[in-house]
Amino acid sequence: MGLKEYINDIFEAVVTTAKGMRITARYGVDASEEVTQQYPEVRREPDDRFRGFLHNDIAKCTSCSMCVKVCPMDCISLEAVRGADKKFVLVSYEINIGRCMYCGLCVEACPTDSLVHTRGYEKASVDRGELILHFVHEDPAGIRARVAKQVAEAAAKAAEAAKAAEAAKAAASLAAPAATPAAASPAAPAATPAAANPPAKDDPEKKG
Amino acid sequence: MEALARSLVQAVPAIAGVPFWTVTLLVMVVTAAVLLVFALTFGGVGSYVLRKVAGDIQVRIGPNRVGPYGILQFLADGVKLILKEDIIPAKADRFLFVLAPYLVFIGSFAAFVVVPFGVGLIAADLNIGVYYVMAITSLVVVGILMAGWASNNKWALLGGMRAAAQIVSYEIPVGMAILPAVLIAGSLSLQDIVRSQGGLLGVFGWNLFHNPFTFFSFFLYFTAAQAETNQTPFDLPEAESELVSGYNVEYSGIRYAFFFLAEFGDMFIVAALATACFLGGWHVPFFRADALPALWGNLLSLGVFLVKAFGLVLVMMWVRWTLPRLRVDQLMRMAWKYLVPLTFANLLGVSLWLLVFKGKGIPQMIASIF
Repeated sequence: MGLKEYINDIFEAVVTTAKGMRITARYGVDASEEVTQQYPEVRREPDDRFRGFLHNDIAKCTSCSMCVKVCPMDCISLEAVRGADKKFVLVSYEINIGRCMYCGLCVEACPTDSLVHTRGYEKASVDRGELILHFVHEDPAGIRARVAKQVAEAAAKAAEAAKAAEAAKAAASLAAPAATPAAASPAAPAATPAAANPPAKDDPEKKG
Repeated sequence: MEALARSLVQAVPAIAGVPFWTVTLLVMVVTAAVLLVFALTFGGVGSYVLRKVAGDIQVRIGPNRVGPYGILQFLADGVKLILKEDIIPAKADRFLFVLAPYLVFIGSFAAFVVVPFGVGLIAADLNIGVYYVMAITSLVVVGILMAGWASNNKWALLGGMRAAAQIVSYEIPVGMAILPAVLIAGSLSLQDIVRSQGGLLGVFGWNLFHNPFTFFSFFLYFTAAQAETNQTPFDLPEAESELVSGYNVEYSGIRYAFFFLAEFGDMFIVAALATACFLGGWHVPFFRADALPALWGNLLSLGVFLVKAFGLVLVMMWVRWTLPRLRVDQLMRMAWKYLVPLTFANLLGVSLWLLVFKGKGIPQMIASIF
C-alpha cells in the first residue's frame, strides 16, 4: 500500500462520512418526510381489490356449495335444506377466518357473487371461537322446523290439490281411484328428515 | 472537597461544633449523590433523545405514547427494568456475573469526578485529571470481559473478547489525540486545561483553533473515543446481527440497566472530555464567566458547558445512525494503521509547533499583530 493510496483512503473515509451525515441530517431535520402512520388513530383505507375478510350475502346465496368444494383450507362449512319451492334454504353458513388463507378461490367460484371479500382486516381476538364468522343468525333448529313445516304444508296442499283433482277426475270418470294413498304418503317423510348436512345430490324428497 | 467543607463551616457557624471530618464526609456524599443523579438522568433522557433522533433520521416517529411526545418513556423503561425478574443462568459464574455490571458502571461513573462542569464546579480537581479518566475508564474493559466470561455463553464471550480488543486498541489513539491539549496547558488537570483556553473572545482561545494539528486532533479524538465507547459504527461487542447483544445477553432487569447506564455515562464522558480539551470547556463565548460573582458565573459556565457537551452527544448519535458497522479486521486496521500513526504525527506536529512558536497559537499571533 503506497502513501498515495493511504492518503486516498483517509480522504475517502472523511468524504463518505460527511456525505452520509448530510443525508441523515436532511432526514433528521425535515419532519415532513416522516412516513409512519399512527395506526389506531390514522387508518389506511385498503385498496379496492384488497382481499380482506369474506362476507356472504345470504339473500343472494343459493347454497350451491361451490365455495365449500373449492376451498383449499376447508374453512367454509355450509348446511342447507330443501325448501318448499325446491330451492335450498341455508341453515348455517360459517367461515373459520382463522384458517382462511385469503386465496380468493371461493369468491371466484361463487356463481351469484354473493360471497365477496370485504376490506376488513382487524380481527384480533382472545378466543379462537371468535374467528368463526357466522352468516345465518337464526337458530338452525328453528330454520329446519320452519322449512319442514313449509314443506309439509306445501305437500299437504299439493296432496289436497291432487285429491281435489283426483276427486274431480273420479267424479268425472266415476271410477274408484287407486292413487290417493300414494299421493299422501310422500308428504309425511318430508316433514321429518334431518335434512342431512351436505344438502347435495341424493335428496330422497326430490320426487315429493 | 476539604476547601468546600471549610467554606461551608465558615458560612454556617452553627455546624462549627461538628467534627470537621463529618462535614467533609457529608459534602463528599452530597457531591457524589448530585453526580449520580446527573448521570442517571442523563442516561434516562439520553435514551429518549437517542431513540427520538433515530426515529427522525430513519423517517420514523420514535417513542410518542408515554406522556407528551413520549417524554416519559424513559421512566416507563426504568420502572420496567427495575421490576423485571433478575435471571442468573444456572451455569454462570455467580460471583463474577453479579460483580461485572457494577465494575462497568463504576468505570464509567467514576470519570464524572473530574469533569469540569463550571468555573468552580468540579467534584475533585485532580492534578492528574486526564490520566485519571484514561485509567478509570479502562475498568470498563475488565467489567465487560468479566461479564462475557461469567455468562458462560458463546455470544457473550465473543462480545466480551471483541470489546476488550477494541477498547485496548483504541485507548492508544484516544490518549495520543488528547495529549496536545495537555501539552498546550502544561497540566494534566482538566480545570487547568480549560483555563488555558480562555481569552480571545472566548472562542478563538479554544484548543480547536490553536493550530492545524490540534484541529485535526479533535476529530481524531472524537473518532477514536466513539470507538472506545462501543458506539455504533464500532459497536462490534454488541453487534446485534451476529452476537445478539454481545457481552450483556444473559443480563436482565437492574443488572442490564447498569450496562445501559454505563454506556450513556461513557457517551457523556467522551463528549465532556472533548469539550474540556478542545472546545474551551465552560468558557462562555464573548464573555468572561469567571469574572462574574461566584453563583452566576458557575451557573452560566455550567449551562455553556452542558450545551457544548450535549451538542457533541447529539453529533455522536447522528454518526451512530449514519454509518454501518465495521468488520473486526477493518476496526483493527483503522486503529493500528490509521488512527495510531495519525495521532502520533499530530502529537509530533503540536510539539514542534509549541517549540517553534514558543507555545503561541495562530489566533494569539493574529491578535498580537493588532
